[in-house]
Amino acid sequence: MKKAVLSATLIAAAVLTAQAQVQVDAGLPDYKAVQGVSGTIKGIGSDTMNNMMALWAEGFKKMYPNVQVEIEGKGSSTAPPALIEGTATFGPMSRAMKQLEIDGFVAKYGYKPTELPTSIDMLAVYVHKDNPVKAMSLTQVDAVFSKNRKLGNAEDITGWGQLGLKGEWANLPISLYGRNAASGTYGYFKENALGKGDYKDSVKEQPGSSAVVQGVATDRGAIGYSGIGYKTADVRAIPLSRDAFSYPVEPTPENAYSGEYPLARYLYLYVNYKPGSELDPLRREFIKYIFSKQGQTDVLKDGFFPVPASIARKTLESVGIKAGF
Amino acid sequence: MSSRPLEKSVRPRRQRSRVSLFAQGEPMIWLTGGGLAVALCMIIGLLLLIFCNGIATLWPAPVPQFQTSAGSVYMGEVTRAESFRSNDEKVRVLQRKLVRTGNYEISGEHFVWISDHDIKAETRPEWALVIERTAWGRFYGFPEGFTLGGDTVASTPEAAWEMFNKHHRAVSERREKIRELETHEIGRVNRRLETARLNLRTVELRDGKDSPAWQAEHAKFLETEKAVTAKFATLQEEIVRLRAENSRYVLNLKTAQGKAVAMPLSDIVRAYPANQLSFIGKAGIYFSRWHEFLLGEPREANSEGGVFPAIFGTVIMTLLMSLAVVPFGVMAALYLREYAKPGLIVSAVRISINNLAGVPSIVFGVFGLGFFCYFIGASIDELFYASSLPNPTFGKGGILWASLTLALLTLPVVIVATEEALSAVPNSMREGSYACGGSKWQTIKRIVLPRAMPGIMTGMILAMARGAGEVAPLMLVGAVKLAPELPVDSIAPFVHAERSFMHLGFHIYDLGFQSQNSEAAKPMVFTTTLLLIVLIFLLNLLAVRLRSRLRRKFVSAAF
Repeated sequence: MKKAVLSATLIAAAVLTAQAQVQVDAGLPDYKAVQGVSGTIKGIGSDTMNNMMALWAEGFKKMYPNVQVEIEGKGSSTAPPALIEGTATFGPMSRAMKQLEIDGFVAKYGYKPTELPTSIDMLAVYVHKDNPVKAMSLTQVDAVFSKNRKLGNAEDITGWGQLGLKGEWANLPISLYGRNAASGTYGYFKENALGKGDYKDSVKEQPGSSAVVQGVATDRGAIGYSGIGYKTADVRAIPLSRDAFSYPVEPTPENAYSGEYPLARYLYLYVNYKPGSELDPLRREFIKYIFSKQGQTDVLKDGFFPVPASIARKTLESVGIKAGF
Repeated sequence: MSSRPLEKSVRPRRQRSRVSLFAQGEPMIWLTGGGLAVALCMIIGLLLLIFCNGIATLWPAPVPQFQTSAGSVYMGEVTRAESFRSNDEKVRVLQRKLVRTGNYEISGEHFVWISDHDIKAETRPEWALVIERTAWGRFYGFPEGFTLGGDTVASTPEAAWEMFNKHHRAVSERREKIRELETHEIGRVNRRLETARLNLRTVELRDGKDSPAWQAEHAKFLETEKAVTAKFATLQEEIVRLRAENSRYVLNLKTAQGKAVAMPLSDIVRAYPANQLSFIGKAGIYFSRWHEFLLGEPREANSEGGVFPAIFGTVIMTLLMSLAVVPFGVMAALYLREYAKPGLIVSAVRISINNLAGVPSIVFGVFGLGFFCYFIGASIDELFYASSLPNPTFGKGGILWASLTLALLTLPVVIVATEEALSAVPNSMREGSYACGGSKWQTIKRIVLPRAMPGIMTGMILAMARGAGEVAPLMLVGAVKLAPELPVDSIAPFVHAERSFMHLGFHIYDLGFQSQNSEAAKPMVFTTTLLLIVLIFLLNLLAVRLRSRLRRKFVSAAF
């Protein structure tokens, strides 16, 4: 259902992406500082969003010098406990919260945590830059990464030759790189690319998104998954198709906004917001900053894609902030 | 009194019966010597690797421009080169270069691989400019002109560069001034308001919202708010004025691909025409970069700028840890060695301490998180900081909890070293003291401790070296990616033990595995590692000097 919402809202925003380099939606407001904001912002959660949180924090601190910001990014699964314990003011997550996590929150506070889609990421499948593989279908990706092959590929894929590569590549075994289990990327990939199947034991689990890319960069036979923001010149993000019968889709911003790319997702920020109440000035202004022109430019700086004004408006209203644009 | 055995008698030397190679010990000399040599080689190799990479990172490289046979143009610093086999039918080995092309906001790439095979022409343009910016990473381009308040005042590269040099310092100073206003002045104003808000909240929690006390406090709050608003407006005006002044200076640039870019001078941290620099000019850039690295704050999600908060955090945490661990360690060792009766329990305690040294450090981290942060910290919050709940004050990772966790981690080192030092004090000295009528504590204080002091200091040095290099437990109890507020500053109460902090070791991990622009971050990993090693070395040097001074004091006191 989430994906349907994503693609529906994003098709409307596809207009923005006429140029090669994505631009921030012109409908978003400039952020203006107000007085009386201070205190400590503590973000605990996703590693994918770590740099983005740091950029937001830097920008926000420029407006409010004596706000203290502390960012911790050790994986999306660390966000719900931190929000429940009250050790974090914000929980950045690269996947939606699971029912179990929401239940834990509700048990303590009596209402659900509020989910703010802050930006758009594409989970890219990376190979070494010299690897000539043209495209893969999700079925093949599943057969490469998963031991159950829930998407129904007939055989297990362990060598590049099985993906149609010739010459010296034909005999090269595939070496797998992935994230550790605390990561939201791990969970999202499992759910959406492996049909909830299990990862093979041979996946080398890395402690960070960047580590996956670096691992793939130094290993000729490697394949790995990570956020598009972490792409370097040493790896190539390959086009993916949903199944063997559809066209492969390049991981470009246009395809993320149109919903064509099969692994496009929101990056969320979770807050503890009691419905109907008023947020304290610190959190209110930080959220407003994220959904402003400046905040969404930070998203671009980090290599992810900004949300359109329509989503920003809806999100602000969901935490009781008058959007005013 | 003491049941310590007298000094061991010298073991009788074994008579040499047969002259064999082994008995003479020659092979053993070679084996042990070889072991030492291998160990030394590994250490020196590692240090050399870190040193060479770390030292070279900040040296400015020339900026070549490449024209490919496909018609594209790239300009930037060559980061590294490698050979590769092309996927062509006939297998050939080719060379390629990784070029840092920057200009991320235009191209969407920081780095590009260019195969030597594809390069049609390589030139070193005279006016290739490297620009380090406050945002978006590096920029490579050519100066085209200079506009001052909308008027073009220069239209050749030479004139533009001259104007840049003329105005950049003043613009940077204004930028610093803005920062100063924002951090200190506005900070102080905001803090006043926050204090008023917290006071109000405290009264509300105590007396409820309808009480007269709350009414009074509320009136006070409104008054403060009014004063703060006025002050805020004047400060804001000043900042706007400075910003407007700064925005008048714009350097017009052209990228290698021919795209025109107008860059405000206030965005530029440093710029230099890389291909024109003399050795002295390069050295100037090099030292100015080191200066920024050591004393600046991080920018751009830690991939640019300095590491000062991390250096400061590491030093303060190590010192706090030493303050916590040495007294407790020494007291524990004193009891074990001087007071406790040797027996089963003491042996068991001693074994436990030795085992504690072998517990993985992350276990201490988990303990610290559960006990210090969630239990003690949360209790402190409920008692003293109720007004700012649900935002935790002590109930989260912080420098105090990190120091205490590391103190636990290094406790066995101190205890074992102190015990060794205590047992090395000859019993005859203790007995002499008792014979003169000294009590047990007097003997320990006047006779035993001074003589054991150098040994205790050795324990402290070992503990500091261990603690400063430890990262795993810190990740759980307070070291964070970004915390530019230092745990010690000029704002009352000066020491903020509850604040999270940055740590060099964690910074290295973060740069290496988490940074978005990992290619650009890699050289910084080496530089930061070098810095951490130098820092630990300096801390140890300090302790060693302290020890030798104590030793001298003890020698002069003895006679």
